[in-house]
Amino acid sequence: MLEIIASSAEDARDGYDLQKAMKWFDLSPEDRDRTMQLGEISESVAEAIIEAFYEHLLSDPVAAQHFHGPDHVEKVKAGQLRYFRELISAELDDDYIADRRRIGGIHERTGVTPTLYIGAYAFYLNRLATIVLDRMKEEPDSAFPLLLSLFKFAHFDMALALETYVDTREETIRDRERELSELPTPVLQLRPGLLLIPVVGTLDSFRARALTVQLLEGIRAHRARAVVLDITGVAAVDSAVANHLIQTMSAARLMGVRSVLTGLSAEVAQSLVKVGVTAEKLQTAGDLESGIELADRLMAG
Amino acid sequence: MQVEGALGGDIQAIRRDADVISARQSGRQIAERMGYSRPDQALIATAISELARNIVNYAGKGEIEITPVRRRGRMGLRIIARDHGPGIEDLERAMADGFSTGNSFGLGLPGAKRIMDDFDVVTAVGEGVVVTAIKWMGR
Amino acid sequence: MSSRVPILRQGDVLIASIQEELSDGDILDLQLRILEEVIRCRASGVIVDVSALDVLDSFGSRSLSDMAQAVRLRGSRLVIVGIQPDVAYSMVLLGVTLPDVATALDLDRGLALLEAG
Repeated sequence: MLEIIASSAEDARDGYDLQKAMKWFDLSPEDRDRTMQLGEISESVAEAIIEAFYEHLLSDPVAAQHFHGPDHVEKVKAGQLRYFRELISAELDDDYIADRRRIGGIHERTGVTPTLYIGAYAFYLNRLATIVLDRMKEEPDSAFPLLLSLFKFAHFDMALALETYVDTREETIRDRERELSELPTPVLQLRPGLLLIPVVGTLDSFRARALTVQLLEGIRAHRARAVVLDITGVAAVDSAVANHLIQTMSAARLMGVRSVLTGLSAEVAQSLVKVGVTAEKLQTAGDLESGIELADRLMAG
Repeated sequence: MQVEGALGGDIQAIRRDADVISARQSGRQIAERMGYSRPDQALIATAISELARNIVNYAGKGEIEITPVRRRGRMGLRIIARDHGPGIEDLERAMADGFSTGNSFGLGLPGAKRIMDDFDVVTAVGEGVVVTAIKWMGR
Repeated sequence: MSSRVPILRQGDVLIASIQEELSDGDILDLQLRILEEVIRCRASGVIVDVSALDVLDSFGSRSLSDMAQAVRLRGSRLVIVGIQPDVAYSMVLLGVTLPDVATALDLDRGLALLEAG
């Protein structure tokens, strides 16, 4: 009997397994041989397709904003030509994958949405397939396998790009979280032994932990006796945030410090009740002034 | 996920309660060397302490493996607690706060899970328990 | 078992100052000795100074909590002093808040707390 719980999924993108991915997309060296047979046709029409695509694209004012002038458009077109050439003939190896991922990352950062990217891809494939079928209309039975192989590569490509989108997005979020956590939470000493922490903004678990650490260090540094946590400036207090606040105050109490929570709106008071906090366990005061008075009384004895 | 061998790791045999201390000290030292913040070092040491104590209390002996790892460019510290003891019969209950057949508030496994970022338990009755926990850096 | 934690007496207050990380056995030994001393000296209060500890796991916390409870049953009071910031932080994430145990920032504050009654 083997029981597994609380499994945190191992990341499938750790060390990209090319063989596994090719198997998943049913890609084989024969597929590459087949797409190579499309090389001549593709080469002869690729530029025209790209021109047509940009005419289509630049007619949309929102999409056109992505480009800073004609030189930029030409540069991107050249890149796209290379991209499609590689789709037909490049060797599928780690360099190819690295390159595809790099491009996906650039797209995410420059605001090229997956819709725009896949749309462009679809535009190219549709045009090319139409032309191929037209030129090979005497032998449709040989044209189909060639196109099917091309579609396999295209899907493989798109998957890579989307994976990269997600990765890049996650990285951005992580960076932002890091920046937020580095925002110093002011720990103000109102008078000897009494600290005031005005909590402002959003309080996610990440920031709540940083705040707790800063408060605890502040308690030690100032030899505090009491702390007033003012949450008037906290955007939204749900039960998770309420829990963070309680943890923060519990940690302060372990260091021998009493804390008072001020600036609770009616909704906040409600979320605190929901996570099981009662007025006896938690010292609260309506506004900052009465909070400070209460803290003074607590300090006195 | 790759193992970062160059940063050093450690395997600590856990046989008696004094080994709990050396395991968590070793974990803290490795975490410090890797550049974890002081609060994170304390969290890692505390989690190791809970996991090692579970080994002493329920299996008698086992080991704690401490390994620096990297996943998608991000560093982490992986703790594997392994024993060949009786295993956990009701894992769901063992993971719930306040369940303990020992003497520790019953926070061992659920507490360690809250402290760490990733947490897996694999157990089979009569075969033992393997807990794998990771604390990622900068989180 | 060697007694690794000296228990000092100041007035009618006992002060146990933990200097190094304790094994479970040491903690249980301390628990017992504190109780014996409280009874022997009729101490009105006990201070356990944990400022040298950089980890207080659930077992250590539970033992301190039990100690406080037992001391209270003898009509005396126990105050834990010197829980360090990183330790306090780890304890609450672990789920340990010691709601029924008195705490103070350091030895002086602990003594003041006991004097205040």
